[in-house]
Amino acid sequence: MDWTSILQFFRGPFFKISLLIFIGGMTYRLVRILLLGWKRDKVPSRGSKAGGVVKTYLKGLLVLPFIPWVKRTFTPNALTYIGGGLFHLSLVAVVLFATPHMLVWKSLLGFGWPTLPFPVTDWLAAVGIVALVILLVNRLTHPVLKLITKAPLYWNWALTFLPFLTGYMMTHHLWFRYEVLYSLHMISVDVLLIWIPFSRISHFLFYFFSRTFHGAQAGKRAVNP
Amino acid sequence: MTEKTVYEHLRASGVSRRDFMKLCGTLAGMMGLEFAPPVKALGAVAGPDPAGLVAEALMSKSRLPLIWLELQDCAGCTEAISRSQSPSLVNLVLNSIAVEYHETLMAAAGFQAEASMRAMMEKYRGQYVLVVEGSPSVDADGIYCTVAGRSSLDILREAAAGAAAVIATGNCAAFGGIPKAKPNPTGARAVSDIVTDRPVINIPGCPAIPEVTTGTIAHFLVMGALPRTDSLKRPLTFYGHTIHDHCLRRPFYDAGKFAGSFDDDGARAGRCLYKLGCKGPTTYNACASLKWEKGLSYPVQSGHPCLGCSEPSFWDGGGFYQGQSAPVDRPAAAAAGIAAGAGIALGAALAAANGAKKRKAEKAEKAE
Repeated sequence: MDWTSILQFFRGPFFKISLLIFIGGMTYRLVRILLLGWKRDKVPSRGSKAGGVVKTYLKGLLVLPFIPWVKRTFTPNALTYIGGGLFHLSLVAVVLFATPHMLVWKSLLGFGWPTLPFPVTDWLAAVGIVALVILLVNRLTHPVLKLITKAPLYWNWALTFLPFLTGYMMTHHLWFRYEVLYSLHMISVDVLLIWIPFSRISHFLFYFFSRTFHGAQAGKRAVNP
Repeated sequence: MTEKTVYEHLRASGVSRRDFMKLCGTLAGMMGLEFAPPVKALGAVAGPDPAGLVAEALMSKSRLPLIWLELQDCAGCTEAISRSQSPSLVNLVLNSIAVEYHETLMAAAGFQAEASMRAMMEKYRGQYVLVVEGSPSVDADGIYCTVAGRSSLDILREAAAGAAAVIATGNCAAFGGIPKAKPNPTGARAVSDIVTDRPVINIPGCPAIPEVTTGTIAHFLVMGALPRTDSLKRPLTFYGHTIHDHCLRRPFYDAGKFAGSFDDDGARAGRCLYKLGCKGPTTYNACASLKWEKGLSYPVQSGHPCLGCSEPSFWDGGGFYQGQSAPVDRPAAAAAGIAAGAGIALGAALAAANGAKKRKAEKAEKAE
């Protein structure tokens, strides 16, 4: 078995299977959560639930991440705040706006979009890698975090870190032949795709559900039954 | 041996000693001797001078017998060789260094050609080099490709049995090529799948670069053995680097500047062709350094992305004009729909089961 065949397999059939498991797994999780049961509103709300949703999104996406002194999110957890923020920024920029990744989306969705210049995504990828390492060190050394962290979280970390690392090595042709690095990148991505639905990384989708729900709750002005 | 040496043959055809030495230098360059471990392979102590090494071999060895077979192919590799713009080199190897049986190029035809091949195979048994162009077909006993009433599989097996070494030239012979592309109706195979008891070297490409084929032949004559190869049996001298490694558009890649279509400003400015499907980063070949047409150009230089013709995944490795990062295989909308449907069904079934359990428990509680 040579690396060219390995690459073909992980770019081809195995990628396809991983993606199908990802799709099936995410819909499964989604249905399970949606069917957990909804409490019916027995008292009409005098506030605006939609307004509450809008407000919570503005707060969650614009205020809290970028205005550090609101609600003491920054001061007690500066490292988590900056590290986590930069990691998520890096993730979005690299996965959606790096040229090779846009071409993946294009092949899957049928349309593409303008991408960021390479030096920008390259630096952001490096930022993401450094942020992940710092966050891990923090988690391993922080007296409280250390106690509340269980094995699945370390798996989450490792399976997120590996695609970043192999992708960066591949872009810069580091140490191994290109097809070897490309294979390693594809293997790590495929495994991540399978892992996502069954782990907390699924928050990339469920975040929006919980935000909406909590926003609606917050906008409600009524007596709870 | 009573046969004339290559040197004597060249002298008899009017090549001066000075030209001979120049030729040896060129051949040494073509074989990439500077980068190969030449001396040990010869089994003799030779000086550090690669040209001297070649001269020594050509003066002591007779011409190399060569049989060139065409199986399931388009004769494109032969076309490339016969129209090569470096005729001095290619002719030198094929006319002066090697004695050949070549189905497409020789004057003899029909029974004469068959007889000529048979005579050559008997005379030079165990000494000749077999060059194969095109892939053998194995399905239905190779009935899909026959020459003079015999299947290509038979011909290949017989010819390989008496060969000192086998050179599979072109992607078809090396990896199966287009005949092996899905759904492979003829059961095409790579030559190395069929010939397992003789040294086989692959010179993939579509077509193979003429200088690479002839360089490998020259290497066999001079060194008496095939050159060192990579894991896909390709000579490292020519397949040691990717197209991307030596690409003249590489600075644009590094800067992230791409052509978005074949006729946009990026294409006119000579930017990187990655987005147009270039397979350069995973394609090992000498196009970017040897080039074609006497070093005039090669596909990427002429504005076309590399198709990856020297790789086993040439035909089934994703769309030619689709960025290389794009997956080779992706789920069809129907398959994605089924996966989503399965997720929904499983989730709903479990939720319903839980709901029923809950209602039962509530009922039991009320009854108490």
